[in-house]
Amino acid sequence: MIERLSHGPASVHRLTEPFALSQQMISKHIACLVRARIVIKTKRGRESVCTLRPAAIKTVSDWAISYRRFWEESFDKLEGVVNEMKKLEVKK
Amino acid sequence: MTKSRVNETERMTITRVFDAPRELVWKAWTDPKYVMQWWGPKGFTAPVCQMDFRVGGKSLFCMRAPDGQEFWNAIEYHEIVPPEKIVSSMYFADSKGNKVEPAAYGIEHEAIDGAYDVTIFEDLGNGQTKLTFIGNEPMESAKNSGQLEGWNQILDKIAAVVAGLVQAK
Repeated sequence: MIERLSHGPASVHRLTEPFALSQQMISKHIACLVRARIVIKTKRGRESVCTLRPAAIKTVSDWAISYRRFWEESFDKLEGVVNEMKKLEVKK
Repeated sequence: MTKSRVNETERMTITRVFDAPRELVWKAWTDPKYVMQWWGPKGFTAPVCQMDFRVGGKSLFCMRAPDGQEFWNAIEYHEIVPPEKIVSSMYFADSKGNKVEPAAYGIEHEAIDGAYDVTIFEDLGNGQTKLTFIGNEPMESAKNSGQLEGWNQILDKIAAVVAGLVQAK
C-alpha cells in the first residue's frame, strides 16, 4: 500500500483495488498508518484521499538504514558530552 | 600518514573538530561512563555499555530506539595508541556479543572484507581536537546503494515499524 502511495496520492477506493481485502479491512490498515503519522488522510468530495507524509519516510529511513547516520548523530552527542566534561575540568 | 591498508574503495569517513583537548576527547570515547551518553543516533539511549578497552578485548553496547527496539553491537580492539589512534572492528551482535548479520536487525551494512574501523585523534593545537572515524563500509554503500532498491527496503522497514507500533498498543 505504501508502495502504491509512493507513486502519489490515491483514494481509499483505489487503494483497495489491488488487494483481496474488504474496504473495511483496508480502512483499518490506513487508520494504523495515519495513527503512526506515516499517511495523511484528507477528504476530497465524497472520497478520502491518502498521501504519504514525506517527513515520516525520512525519519524511518534515517535511523533504520544508515550506518552513517549512526556515527553522525553519535558524534553530535559526543560533542555535548565533551563540552560538559570540559566545563567540569575547568571547575576543578 | 601511514595506513595499515590501502583500499581502492572510498570508505565512509566522518570527521569532527572538538573545541576540547585531545585527552578529553579520548576519555569521552573510551570510558564507558561517557560512551553511554553518546552511543547511538538521536533519540536513542544506551542502556548497556560493557567495555574491555585493551588490545584483544571486546566491548558490548546496546542502543535502544525510540520505539523500544534494541540493537546490540560488539567492538574488538586490534590496536590502541593513546591518545592518538584506535583500530577496531565493530559488528552487530546479540545480547551475548555473538556476531549476527546486520540484516537480522533490518539494517543494510556492507562491510569491506579484512578492513577495520580506524579512529584517529589529532591535536590541532589551541585546545582543539580533530576526530576522524573511518568506517568499515564503502562510501557508496553508505550513500546511495541504488535508490530504488533502497526505497523498497525502506518501505519494508516502515511496514515493520507500523507493526511494532500496533503491537506496542
